[in-house]
Amino acid sequence: MDLTMKLLVVEDEPKTADYVRQGLMEAGFVVDLARDGADGLHMATGEHYDLIVLDVMLPGLDGRQVLQSIRATGNQVPVLFLTARSSVDDRVQGLEMGADDYLVKPFAFSELLARVRTLLRRGGASLSQDRIQIADLVLDLARRRATRDGHRVNLTSKEFALLELLARRQGEVLPRSLIASQVWDMNFDSDTNVIDVAIRRLRAKIDDNFEPKLIQTVRGMGYTLDIPDD
Amino acid sequence: MTDRFAFLRRPASLSLRVTGLVGIAMLVVFLIFSWVSLRLLDRHFAGMDEEELGVIASSVIRALSEVQDGSDAQALRRAVRGHHGVYYHVADATGKALYEPKDGPDLARFAHGVPSATVAAGQDMTIWEEDGRTYRGGVIVAGGDGELSEVYTIAVAMDIGGHLDFIRSFRRIQWWIICGAMCIVILMSWFAVRWGHIPIRRANDKVRAITSSKLYLRLDPTSVPIELEETIASFNDMLGRVEDGFEQLANFSADIAHELRTPVTNVMTQTEVALGQARSAAEYREVLYSNLEEFGRLNRTINDMLFLAQTENDPGNLNLESVNLKETVLGLFDYFEALVEEREVKLEIRGPGFPVHADREMLRRALSNLISNAIRYTASGETITVRLSQTDRDAVISVENPGEKVPPEELSRIFNRFYRASGSAHRKGEGAGLGLAIVKSIVEAHGGSVSALSDERLTKFHVLLPSTNN
Repeated sequence: MDLTMKLLVVEDEPKTADYVRQGLMEAGFVVDLARDGADGLHMATGEHYDLIVLDVMLPGLDGRQVLQSIRATGNQVPVLFLTARSSVDDRVQGLEMGADDYLVKPFAFSELLARVRTLLRRGGASLSQDRIQIADLVLDLARRRATRDGHRVNLTSKEFALLELLARRQGEVLPRSLIASQVWDMNFDSDTNVIDVAIRRLRAKIDDNFEPKLIQTVRGMGYTLDIPDD
Repeated sequence: MTDRFAFLRRPASLSLRVTGLVGIAMLVVFLIFSWVSLRLLDRHFAGMDEEELGVIASSVIRALSEVQDGSDAQALRRAVRGHHGVYYHVADATGKALYEPKDGPDLARFAHGVPSATVAAGQDMTIWEEDGRTYRGGVIVAGGDGELSEVYTIAVAMDIGGHLDFIRSFRRIQWWIICGAMCIVILMSWFAVRWGHIPIRRANDKVRAITSSKLYLRLDPTSVPIELEETIASFNDMLGRVEDGFEQLANFSADIAHELRTPVTNVMTQTEVALGQARSAAEYREVLYSNLEEFGRLNRTINDMLFLAQTENDPGNLNLESVNLKETVLGLFDYFEALVEEREVKLEIRGPGFPVHADREMLRRALSNLISNAIRYTASGETITVRLSQTDRDAVISVENPGEKVPPEELSRIFNRFYRASGSAHRKGEGAGLGLAIVKSIVEAHGGSVSALSDERLTKFHVLLPSTNN
């Protein structure tokens, strides 16, 4: 699915722009880069994109104006705002003007990637499947039950929600902040290792007595659930 | 409308106020004094004149009674002697003049009730002007009784020009004195105000000497007049607050530098060493991972500091709504469930559920920091209690955990930025020591307050939030 997705990144900071493009390309997207607002608007209106990553602070035409102009043409492409300040004003203003999500600089790339994928999924693939299977792990979404190798695994509701999040986004690295936000609605950095503990407990139930180990830690980034390569 | 008139909108200067008020008061006093003295003088002269005219009239009547014949003009002329500027006229019942003065006013006409120009008419006396002179006079009808067999009309008058001249010059002198006195009064009061302001100017010079590097300086409230004492005391208080804030800011900058320097040094050293010689891909990867972790920590610290700066610079920037406190706390218990089970501590909530007016995300963040702090310092097997209660004005949230007593000197600094408990061996997985500072800034942005108490058994954090109904 990702292979066909085309993204536009509008960012004036050269290093950030280059690394974001490289990262997104290596994650399987086709990425165009605009280095100022005017170029960004021109490209956004001239071509079809599946998603636009838009910096707020741009020379000349700033991100808000670009977004307004894009929306004015009736274009409903998902837009992810990058803001330098996390003041409520900026956030609310951005979302009111039609941005679909925002990320405050400095951000972790894994966070950006996870949010880009969330936005792309929102428009496309349906969530209405009622069963997910990864290796011998089976999630019955309707009855909120999980089995591994045919054995029923007893999970609390939050543990199931956590497992479901990881399973739905198989192979993606999910940052701790994204997990906290999606499972517990905690939308701020907590200085605790709650997520690590929760993952550890989930692992004990899902992976400890089984092979292969599905939940993997990606150092410095987060967690992913996938069938190991080797 | 333009700035040309800006000085009109500004309150009048103190010298102007005092000088103006004293000037007006003195002017009113002088005018009253002048009016009263002129009235008294006037009345005094009138009395004197009336008395003299009365004496003349009775002399004429006596002469008339002695001669028993009104036609004796000689006798009438002789009747009055030794009076200067006095005139009289005698007529019989038919109106025939028996005696006329050689000069002076036309008393015949006056006697018949037609004075030429009446200036003032008293009860018995009339003042009028004639030929450029001013006269005071009266008409008496005498006779028809035992003393005088016939009826006579007697008009007496005197020239009062001398009196009027005196009154005029008296008034003129009085005006000069008033003007002179006013000048002296105004000058004196202006001088008094200037002199009175000397302590203010002196205090001002001292204030001017307080630069940002000398915020410890204070003004001596006993060195100024008693009226200024309170102002100086308030100023000192304000200076104290500024000094505290300034010091905190200075310390904060130093702390930031220190907090950032350590991880940056780590990353730099590690990277330089890694690049010092050729290594395997796995080793490079290890360095990058390690850097990533360090940067992650830096990122969190920076975000927390930004959050603190924003909450403190713009405390009005809250998305206020009605939030159920109990549900919020239970939601947080849910989040901490895995952690408390692993630490083998328990979370408990007591008190009724009620709404508070707050920013939901901010409140969750503050409470989450308090709970995670409590979990960190609670031994396994113990219970952390969150108590909710309400007073008339506040919602009270207290987070209590059993644990060692926190020394008072640490308790007072516990909400400071980058503060970490002494013997902070537990650095792993911990934030930069901004958690409780964030709690404080959030609660204060809501107009509330937070405090910490500790005894041998329990450590308590009290959060007061202003009630919903405000």
